Amino acid sequence: MWKAIKDRETGRIRSNSFANRFKSGRILSLQLSNRKDFVSPHRGSVNSLQVDLTEGRYLLSGAADGSAAVFDVQRATDYEASGLIAKHKCIFTVDKQHDNGHKFAISSAIWYPIDTGLFVTGSYDHYLKVWDTNTAQAVVDFKMPGKVYRTAMSSMAMSHTLIAAGTEDVQVRLCDIASGAFSHTLSGHRDGVMSVEWSTSSEWVLYTGGCDGAIRFWDIRRAGCFRVLDQSQTQLGIRPPILKRTAVSSKFYSAAKSSLGGQNRLKTLQSKHTGSQSVKGSSSAKASTEKSRQKRIHPGMLSTLDRATAHYGVVTGLKATNDGMYLLSAGSDSRIRLWDIESGRNTLVNFETGRIQTNKAIQLDTSDDPALVFVPCMKTVKTFGMWSGRTTLMLRGHYESVNTCCFNSSDQELYTSGADRQILVWSPGGSVEDEMVQDEVAEDKDNWSD
Amino acid sequence: MEGRDDGGGKVMGLIEKATKSTAQEVDPRLLKAIKSIVRYSDSEVRLSAQTLMELMRHNHSQVRYLTLFIIDELFMRSKLFRTLIIENLDQLLSLSVGFRSNLPLPSPPAVATMLRSKAIEFLEKWNLSFGFHYKELRLGFDYLKNTLKLKFPDLQANAARIQRERQEREMKTKEILRNKFDSLRDSFGLFKYEIEVTIKEIKECMEIVQWRGDDGVPLAILDEEDFEEIRCSHLRQIRLDSLKQSEKVEETSENRVVFDVLREQCKLLVTKHLISVQEGISLLIRVDVSDNRTRDSMLKDLIDIRNNILAAKKKWEEAGFTISMMTGTHENEETNEEEEDIWEEDDGKVGTDSVKNVAPVTRTQQSDNSSLLSSSEAKKSNKASNTKKVGSTGGSLRDKLISEAPVMNWGSQLSNWDSTTEVRANYRGLELESHWGRVDQDAVIPAEKIAELNLQATVYREERTETPPCRAPLKKGGLCQRRDLRVCPFHGPIVPRDDEGKPIIQESPLDESINQTSSTTGTNQDMPMDETTSDSDPNQLARQIAKQALKNIREKDKEVMRKRAKLVKVKVKEHNQEVLRDAAIASTSRSNVIDEEFDRVFAARKNKKQTFSSMRRKKTTAKDRISQRLLSNRVKSTNPQQLGQGNDEKCRETSANQW
Repeated sequence: MWKAIKDRETGRIRSNSFANRFKSGRILSLQLSNRKDFVSPHRGSVNSLQVDLTEGRYLLSGAADGSAAVFDVQRATDYEASGLIAKHKCIFTVDKQHDNGHKFAISSAIWYPIDTGLFVTGSYDHYLKVWDTNTAQAVVDFKMPGKVYRTAMSSMAMSHTLIAAGTEDVQVRLCDIASGAFSHTLSGHRDGVMSVEWSTSSEWVLYTGGCDGAIRFWDIRRAGCFRVLDQSQTQLGIRPPILKRTAVSSKFYSAAKSSLGGQNRLKTLQSKHTGSQSVKGSSSAKASTEKSRQKRIHPGMLSTLDRATAHYGVVTGLKATNDGMYLLSAGSDSRIRLWDIESGRNTLVNFETGRIQTNKAIQLDTSDDPALVFVPCMKTVKTFGMWSGRTTLMLRGHYESVNTCCFNSSDQELYTSGADRQILVWSPGGSVEDEMVQDEVAEDKDNWSD
Repeated sequence: MEGRDDGGGKVMGLIEKATKSTAQEVDPRLLKAIKSIVRYSDSEVRLSAQTLMELMRHNHSQVRYLTLFIIDELFMRSKLFRTLIIENLDQLLSLSVGFRSNLPLPSPPAVATMLRSKAIEFLEKWNLSFGFHYKELRLGFDYLKNTLKLKFPDLQANAARIQRERQEREMKTKEILRNKFDSLRDSFGLFKYEIEVTIKEIKECMEIVQWRGDDGVPLAILDEEDFEEIRCSHLRQIRLDSLKQSEKVEETSENRVVFDVLREQCKLLVTKHLISVQEGISLLIRVDVSDNRTRDSMLKDLIDIRNNILAAKKKWEEAGFTISMMTGTHENEETNEEEEDIWEEDDGKVGTDSVKNVAPVTRTQQSDNSSLLSSSEAKKSNKASNTKKVGSTGGSLRDKLISEAPVMNWGSQLSNWDSTTEVRANYRGLELESHWGRVDQDAVIPAEKIAELNLQATVYREERTETPPCRAPLKKGGLCQRRDLRVCPFHGPIVPRDDEGKPIIQESPLDESINQTSSTTGTNQDMPMDETTSDSDPNQLARQIAKQALKNIREKDKEVMRKRAKLVKVKVKEHNQEVLRDAAIASTSRSNVIDEEFDRVFAARKNKKQTFSSMRRKKTTAKDRISQRLLSNRVKSTNPQQLGQGNDEKCRETSANQW
């Protein structure tokens, strides 16, 4: 570590890469934090967690008892065991006792992406409420046609303040905070919508995953969905990360490919030198893309395409990577799929998941630099390499099934919550300060009396 | 490498062996062996952790139960073992507590419940000792406690509560001790003085008694000269004993007074002072005060006093005085005089020689017989004198107080007479746990309550008075033995009689008073004596006659006096009536006419009234008529009594209070 600092000072390493190296080291050593506790005020399973997007400091949680709470993740409210354990109590809660609190479970609680002055909660009581954080009062509420499963706001949006809400109903509604009305009703799913995710590259693009197993892409400027993901349309491997220096020439490309040691093999559909199997798939895929292109011109799609499914079962979770190129989806078939957004194909990365919760929406999260996916797998949280699908970490601490993962990239901390009402903090272990404090308290030692 | 493998095998073998038993606990020897091996190296710890976790999966509660014990042992000791176990804590908990519905605890159910309760207990213990270092432990504990609502023994809270209670109790005890200490300090001087006085008195008594016994000593020595002749060791022993016995003081009628004092004082010393001194010492040892100097000095004093008391006790015990004997005498005194003999015999039994003992017994018996009545009287007076003796040292005030003080029965309540200290109700001095539930160790009986409890009910006992016999002479000879209070149904009122039954004439109180006036106390005393001695004396007869005559004359005088008094009474009555009548006349209008001149002379200012009345004169109302008639009647009746009018003034003087 000291060597790296020296290198950075002498200019041998760029500060950016130094930071990345340091962060990745931390991320790979995540473990259950002994020094940070969230005192959960919730009496039911915690369904939703989000760290605010502006400061990365306030954690919003929504729970099945109809309560939502906000925590400060950086400043502890009090300490235990001579400062060893920092207790984070919630700054405030909004629960059933509140005048306009939710009657039933809150399924989703999200921050207003621009600042922390507002947050949005969606509940099983068919309401979607927008709250003022400072007064803890509901500002706007929307009556939805059914239970709200998931809500989402675009982190990119500059020109609209729309809340996408996936509900029991087949239609996805977009609620406009500014007007207090539904601005869009997106029809296409044949069953309730479990997961909603805005694109991280375009403020107009919305991804939704339904109980019918379909993942649909919507451009809110146009009518109808423009793409339905089909798990059978595949591509092997992923695109290489776009490096700035690659002014993409095929030569460089291949060089880069070989330099990556065949790890990131891109098998484009156009390359016809691969095995017969892939040829078959590619030809059919080619046809479908052409068709979809046609359909993009004409609103509405062919019924055959329209019936494509991304998962066998419910799509319980969607997560777009931060670079906006890939979409991760979790399904009740206990699979995680990584989709290439541009091509809309399944990349066939095999994530070694065990079982994934089937009847509830789950919340995945990703980290950037070591591209990792955090997936709640029943009672554990698993960390997969995004490109390899290998399990890097198994985080075990919850006593009941985990619902959400929320990665705080500024602190390299992971927050998870589950049906056991706990919000756990997973922080990088083995840091210097940690050991210093351990020495100070120094009780945890061998004690052989005989 | 080989050695380690060897050891590893041993650990596994030991653990398996330990968990195979059906006992309720792991064999301690095996456990110790496991511990000593595991301590050897980290690899052993890893291996044992692995083995134990595998054993926990065994589908039998007994195996799991014993395994859990071993895990607990190692968990409390090895850090590495802790980290290894905690990695799989949820698994361990589900296997031992069985909180997952799909993973119930295996049979047998009895052991399974034990396993569960033990696991919960261990988890709490672990959480208490290592929870700060392992978030997983805290989580597991919290989950079981708050989410699954399992009942934990709550060791910490219990311990804290017990600790707190103990502290409170100690505080209270300290407070009580301090209060006691304060009161002791305040009354220390008096206390010390009292004891000193008692000891001194005992010493003096002992001196007196021993001086009495001095005669015996040369006797003993004299006996000692014959000593050589007795060869037999047994006899010698008897001899020695007897010699010893002779040194001991004996109670005789002469030194009974001294003995009584001695007894009283000894008893006081042993039953009250010694105990209170010992209490004081223990109090001073236990009490925790800032003022250490006074405490130490007091402690020193108290120890000295105790030594003094013990020395005194030893002395009187050497002199053949025992507490039991003293108490025995005390009781005997009160109950029966006859039983004193028994006590004397008891005393005799102390020694082995019976021959020697007879002597004192007989001697005392003799003395008792000779003055049975007088001795009991003497005792009473002794007692009085005892108290007086004590009082004389204490001063006249005390004397006075003692004369006023009620007589109380001897009892334990006297030892804490008038004390204002509180008494701890559940204080036994022993740390005993009660079988009958929790006991409030700090319960205190307030002093008022103690006083109330010690309140002695005294039953009024009528003083038995001897009803004298009639003693009238009977025809068949002898005297009447009937005992009546005042009147014998056969012989009339009971009068004092002489031995032959003749009544001793008692003078009437009137005579006595006359005698007193004539200041002839001598004759007064003589008379009954004379009467008893000689009845047929002519002189006596003449004197009697003269007396009778005197009596008659006096009676006549009395009668005259009585008549005179009656007359005075009558006169008073008349006078009263007259005044009444005057008043009646004055109230009528007619009467004013009579008074007219009188009024004119005396009061000129009454003129107005007069004219008023003259104006009203002509009207004769019914009231006037009645009054007139009354007046005329009165005038008629008063006329013959005008003679006594002169006496009227005298009467008024004598009985001024009548009107």
